[in-house]
Amino acid sequence: MLPDIPRRSDVIRSHKAQGGRVAAVLPIHYPRALLRALGFLPVEVWGPPALDYARGAAHLQPYVCSLVRNALSFLLSGGLDIADLIVIPHGCDSLQGLASLLIDFVQPRQLVLPVYLPRSPTAAGVAFLGEELRELGTRLASCAGHPLDTRELWQAIHREERAEGVLQRLHTERLRLSLSNLAHYRLVRSREYLPAEIFTDLGEAALANKSQEPIGGIRFVLSGVLPEPMALLSALDTMGVVVADDDLIACGRRLYPPGQSEDPFQHMAESLLAAPPDSTRGSSIDSRLEHLLGLTRRVEAKGVVFSLVKFCEPELFQLPSLRQGLKEAGIPSVVLEGDLNDPFSLQAQTRLEALVEMIQ
Amino acid sequence: MKAREKAEYYLNARVLGPALLRGQRWAAEARARGASPWASSHLAPPLSISPRLKELVARHWLEGRYANVSRRVAWVTSGAPVEFLKALDFFVLYPENHGAICGTARCAVDLATFAEEAGYSRDICSYARTDLGSLISGRTPVGRLPRPDLLLACTNICQTVLFWYWVLANHFRVPLIVIDTPFVYREEASPHSLDYVRRQIEEAIPVAERVAGKVLNPARFDRVGQLSREACFLWLEILERNRHEPAPITAFDEFVHMAPIVEMRGEAFTVDFYAAMLEEVDRRIARGISAVRPERRRLLWDNLPIWYRLRYLAEQLAERGVAIVASTYTNAWGELAPLMDPDHPLESMVRAYTYPVLNRGTGHKLSTMERMIRDYHLDGVILHSDRSCKPYSIGQMDQRDQLVGAMRTPALLLEADHNDSRCFSEEQVSNRLAAFLEMLGV
Repeated sequence: MLPDIPRRSDVIRSHKAQGGRVAAVLPIHYPRALLRALGFLPVEVWGPPALDYARGAAHLQPYVCSLVRNALSFLLSGGLDIADLIVIPHGCDSLQGLASLLIDFVQPRQLVLPVYLPRSPTAAGVAFLGEELRELGTRLASCAGHPLDTRELWQAIHREERAEGVLQRLHTERLRLSLSNLAHYRLVRSREYLPAEIFTDLGEAALANKSQEPIGGIRFVLSGVLPEPMALLSALDTMGVVVADDDLIACGRRLYPPGQSEDPFQHMAESLLAAPPDSTRGSSIDSRLEHLLGLTRRVEAKGVVFSLVKFCEPELFQLPSLRQGLKEAGIPSVVLEGDLNDPFSLQAQTRLEALVEMIQ
Repeated sequence: MKAREKAEYYLNARVLGPALLRGQRWAAEARARGASPWASSHLAPPLSISPRLKELVARHWLEGRYANVSRRVAWVTSGAPVEFLKALDFFVLYPENHGAICGTARCAVDLATFAEEAGYSRDICSYARTDLGSLISGRTPVGRLPRPDLLLACTNICQTVLFWYWVLANHFRVPLIVIDTPFVYREEASPHSLDYVRRQIEEAIPVAERVAGKVLNPARFDRVGQLSREACFLWLEILERNRHEPAPITAFDEFVHMAPIVEMRGEAFTVDFYAAMLEEVDRRIARGISAVRPERRRLLWDNLPIWYRLRYLAEQLAERGVAIVASTYTNAWGELAPLMDPDHPLESMVRAYTYPVLNRGTGHKLSTMERMIRDYHLDGVILHSDRSCKPYSIGQMDQRDQLVGAMRTPALLLEADHNDSRCFSEEQVSNRLAAFLEMLGV
């Protein structure tokens, strides 16, 4: 039996009650350890979904993705008042625009700190990111009001690496975890706000209950941006589909292996850039297809579901080639594209059912 | 090169083609002395250098058509540091420019449809869809596109080009060089950002040398850089001549005449062309020739042009005595000229290619607009909210509010798309323009 996952609001309140600060972090890749070492609890803001986005629409055109529009609406409606600062990693043109808009025009009460993620997969990219994180550390320290202690940073790095190891195992041993798709992704996505040590305990508790035999069901791999709406996961549960692994930006593409360098900033940079291939980090189509095919082979998946957010250019450019590559490998796929504010539609359900029927 | 291909190349690209294009130019120049092609009598006749531009552009694409048998070919993004490729004698092709040609030729939607049928979403950039559709269908208004031996994508205009070029790399199976330029959120790029860009350019040169099969000649590299700088300075001078009232040209003239500064930087003939264009613009000023007559209001255009409606917009505005005399878009190829230092080509290249307006914050763009409003004595701003270009468009709603509020400058947000005419509602645009012009008092 999986222990209860602490609620996001409770975790934030508890952290604040202990004198800690909260950093609202937008997608996608960022150094959790650096924030924790300076007393900030990173709490990720993926939208949130199903929101009245009118406030954001006063600043952003309708062709900007709902993840960014909702985040701005959430901020403007007071949803992020509890945060002491806002970190916006450079994930795409829309996130870049949001960071710039906040710094130059919206100017929220909180300090806004952008971080640029290099797209060049070379040593120069790793060196750049190391320096970028060092600069971020200086700004965070200034915001925290005390200098960054290197020993505390290393402790935070090791805590995060243990949590990453658990997250990795939750993915690789998914088929032996007696969890519904919904329960599994609630657990996996609690990494978006839980402190590493609490997540590690929770994840290890789930892994301790793994079964000898893999759970039954038609195995799918989920790709795309994020598993939203969550009703998608329930629908898959109802259809007898088990999401055996994923290549989601929010989940499986954020499995960071440990870094190697003895300099903590380079170490964190190596780790962030060594995650599975990701369109938003400028990965090639070949590397993404190879990774996706590797996942489907490992879990013997019968199909792939792409769960996309409308206007997500990084994903939309690679989609046709990925689907073609899967098709050539005999793996059918289906694309579900929508706005974060849309409910799970009957149309999407029908398309999923058609795919399941075809496989059966 | 096979003898037959070589002969065909020399005959068509070097002898017959150029002769034919020269003839067409003379004919066009003769025609230009006759009736004006505009429906509106309020527009000055086209620049007499226009036929020469057409010849230049047509020769470029003619050369491109046969480039695979004569030279190595690189496809590059519009903001990429091409000087080292030019110095290595690559034929350099800009898919974005090809997209714009398809837009003005009004075949972009037909081509984009091929890409959409292949699974590319209508929500991705219409330049990319146009070019991918051209690749898939083999159709193009320029005859034939040469196959690239190398791809170069620089992220200083958007991240879209990176995703687009990975599709190209996947299609052509050729090396892709990425020059990643960290976005400049605040006033200055950090030293580690500039160092990162410098390292990437240094690492790119050996890759390009391997593909070219030759080593970069430093003297040739310096010469190309110098020519690039001269052309950018001339372009900037041409744009700045529009500070004169009445303006000798409009931003629509600039959109049409910007092709060489985008795709032919680093060439002596580009410098010659812009020197001649500057002379003609000066002649217009000396003779009191106004691009729009009478010039009653002067406006700024923000964002990419609406390629398939240039004439429509030019004529609609001219009818009411409105001249668009400046544009943040055409300005982007001139404003960086002062950053180019011939004594420090690599270092200055790093700065010049890090600081385009599209790689800087939304507040910087507003400051640029404020400066242009002041310098060009402008009465208002049209902000083209371009569905296909998010980095250019995000921030426009706040920029408009600031212009209208703190600066008391009338500003209009016009929804469209630079290449996809399905996103252009003529009735809606006409109504919004009419209301805006009424507010301007014309």
